Amino acid sequence: MTLRPLVALAMLMAVLPSGRLAAQDSQFGIPGLGTPGKWESVRARSAGGAFAPFDAFSPLMDASLADVRRMSASVTSGTSWRSIDAVSGADVSLRGTRFPALVITGPLAGRISIGGGFATYLDRSFGIITHDTVDLRGVPQPVTDEVTSDGAVTDLRLAAAVRLHSRLAIGAGFHLLTGSSRVIATRRFADSTNYRTSASRDEVAYEGQGASISALFDVHADVRIAGWFRSDSKLRADVRGRTAAENDLPRSYGAGVLWRPGGQAIVAGTVSWRNWASTGPGAGPNAHDTFNWSLGAELGSASSPIRFGVRGGQLPFGVGTTPTEIGYSAGLGRQFSGGRGRLDLGIERLERKGTGLTERVWTFLLGLTVRP
Amino acid sequence: MRRLALGFLLVAAACTEEATAPGDCPNFCPGGQIVVQDSIFTTIIERDSSFRGYVQGYQAQAMTAADLAGVQSRALFVLNSMITRVAPKAGDTTTVPIFVDSSRLRLTMVRRNRATTNLWLKLYAIPTTTDSTNSFASLDPYFAAAPIDSVSVSDLLSRPLITDAATLRIWGDTIQTDSAGHVLMTADSARILTLFFDFDTLQAPFVVADSGRLGLGMYVTADSFASATFGTTEAGSDAPSMLWYYHYTIPDTVSGTPDSVVHVSQVRVPKFDGFVFDPPTAPLDSNLAVGGVPSARSLVRVTMPAFLRDSFDIVRATVILVPAAVPAAAAFGSPADSFTVLARPILTDLGAKSPLSGGSGGSVVMHPGSTDTVRIELTDLVRAWATDTSIATAFVLGQQPEATSFTEIRFYSSRAPAFRPALHLTYVKRFPFGEP
Repeated sequence: MTLRPLVALAMLMAVLPSGRLAAQDSQFGIPGLGTPGKWESVRARSAGGAFAPFDAFSPLMDASLADVRRMSASVTSGTSWRSIDAVSGADVSLRGTRFPALVITGPLAGRISIGGGFATYLDRSFGIITHDTVDLRGVPQPVTDEVTSDGAVTDLRLAAAVRLHSRLAIGAGFHLLTGSSRVIATRRFADSTNYRTSASRDEVAYEGQGASISALFDVHADVRIAGWFRSDSKLRADVRGRTAAENDLPRSYGAGVLWRPGGQAIVAGTVSWRNWASTGPGAGPNAHDTFNWSLGAELGSASSPIRFGVRGGQLPFGVGTTPTEIGYSAGLGRQFSGGRGRLDLGIERLERKGTGLTERVWTFLLGLTVRP
Repeated sequence: MRRLALGFLLVAAACTEEATAPGDCPNFCPGGQIVVQDSIFTTIIERDSSFRGYVQGYQAQAMTAADLAGVQSRALFVLNSMITRVAPKAGDTTTVPIFVDSSRLRLTMVRRNRATTNLWLKLYAIPTTTDSTNSFASLDPYFAAAPIDSVSVSDLLSRPLITDAATLRIWGDTIQTDSAGHVLMTADSARILTLFFDFDTLQAPFVVADSGRLGLGMYVTADSFASATFGTTEAGSDAPSMLWYYHYTIPDTVSGTPDSVVHVSQVRVPKFDGFVFDPPTAPLDSNLAVGGVPSARSLVRVTMPAFLRDSFDIVRATVILVPAAVPAAAAFGSPADSFTVLARPILTDLGAKSPLSGGSGGSVVMHPGSTDTVRIELTDLVRAWATDTSIATAFVLGQQPEATSFTEIRFYSSRAPAFRPALHLTYVKRFPFGEP
């Protein structure tokens, strides 16, 4: 395979997802601000997310861009099959294909590298159907309500990194939170002769800003540690030019460690925190601070490694106790065209549990990285 | 690697998704809810008025004959003039007189009280000068004379169907007939009756001085609720028609052979048809009048609250009308005289001359004597008002069809505070999008 078609493919995928940049939907995101995206490339995600702080093509940290020595682009796609087991008996299977991340980066001058791209900050794609009976004009009237939302809050990132020392690299990024969701609320009446279907349509536009800083430090030739901090402003939701809601966004911080025990083995672990509980009155008592962790490994040569990992943690929105998430993933990569391109495959199994709901997700991941 | 690239493309192309699931509310549903509200707006109908004179009785698609307690009605028509002479040979300027042998009258009874027993239809001769200026009183003496023919419709309907091949060939359908030779054909499950009368020249004289015009009046009797409606020329094929059978002689002036006689027929339809009734339609008052002759319509104007346009989606709209409890204004007639009241949108509000729009309105069937509150569904119309502010927020109440009967309904107007028209709306509040 030559490189040119792959570059074209990467560009095509970058153009295709406009308006559909969601990472992974979840029923747990419906009552809150949304489902947080995973700022990870396929390589990092196949290893449970543990490599994300150290991977220049994962939009988590800016300092890792300092390792990029050539202009490069990477795109991630994922197809998910989701099953929901609700206590109420509403069991259902869902599916969706998303392009959750794109990173373009390259050296600017000397030890400075810049990068940018998009990632999903919050997924707002969902649809629910409910049935009820309301009393209208003295007659019980069965109704069916459907509320759908299609869109996401997208994180557009412009970042720079500099290697200050052979062992230390730092990075900073500016984040523009933008995006929209098309929302439709429909009520259908069983008595369609007398009652017309009511459908409200709108487009909710989101806006916010954020900033991030991060650092990479090589403790040893085989050990690297990472740390990052990110703060975002309020997320404003506008409907028809009117602000419908404003919610504080969480501060995020975390750390990771990477160890190379041998020439063909890399092990990494990451922990992160986000204080979602402060997202304002809109999220209410159902917002929770989250802690997430991941552990992963990459074995084999750099040209065709295999990866596996495990992750766990919490989800920010849910009634009662904080919902939890546990995931297992695996994948492989393959370089081609003399290292100018890399194709990454991965599969991930997630199980989310919260009060009244268990969600299981299979996700097939596909990533393409090119270095023209 | 090619296979992997192909797989990559397939995944990119397979962006089909199924994201809608049964909701497990309130735990896993959006914060907002679809809220439906139901209110009767009693004061938003105002400046309602009635106007009369849209359709005259002689312009209507039907004419009613009735003999009811409190009202008498007679249907009548005058046939168009007939030829009195013909040119027996093409290109010959010489004409010869025609001689009418007999005639066959066809009447279409488009509505009757099917529960009525012993329904008779009687035909009377009326002046050929009869027109829209004649009143019930001026024509009444002609109905005191002996009828030129009469037929028991109930008896005809009870007669066996004649189904032999010859009958089918001649009439095109099965018929029923009585001993006097009256023929009945039924259509639409016997809802519509077509009656044929054969007249000799004594019953239906062909008067050359009148150019063959003939006036006939129709009167119905029954054990009770005698009422029947007949099609008119405005109704097209349901109009009365007279088939004149006549002959003329072609004189042979060349050879010694006898003159030849030609037998032919021609059809004539009315040049005027209508009906007269007593008592006449009551004059308009402060109520909303619908129907009668000439037909009355009521223009009902609605002031739409601004909040209904901005924040709500109307899912059902019903106009509530209370029949006026004034005896003289109540619809009267037999149970078969039920009629439809249509509520139709207008293109623009020009008062009595407001042009009707082709948009959807609503209707309700009125039953004479009923004083129940009337409800007309106007959902589509009111939804259109809510979404398009350029539409005139008014509608016209009218009878359907108009002026075919003396029946009329009157509703209380906005000038009667306790019984004024109201609009019953069911509406859904705009969903609070954007809120978690």
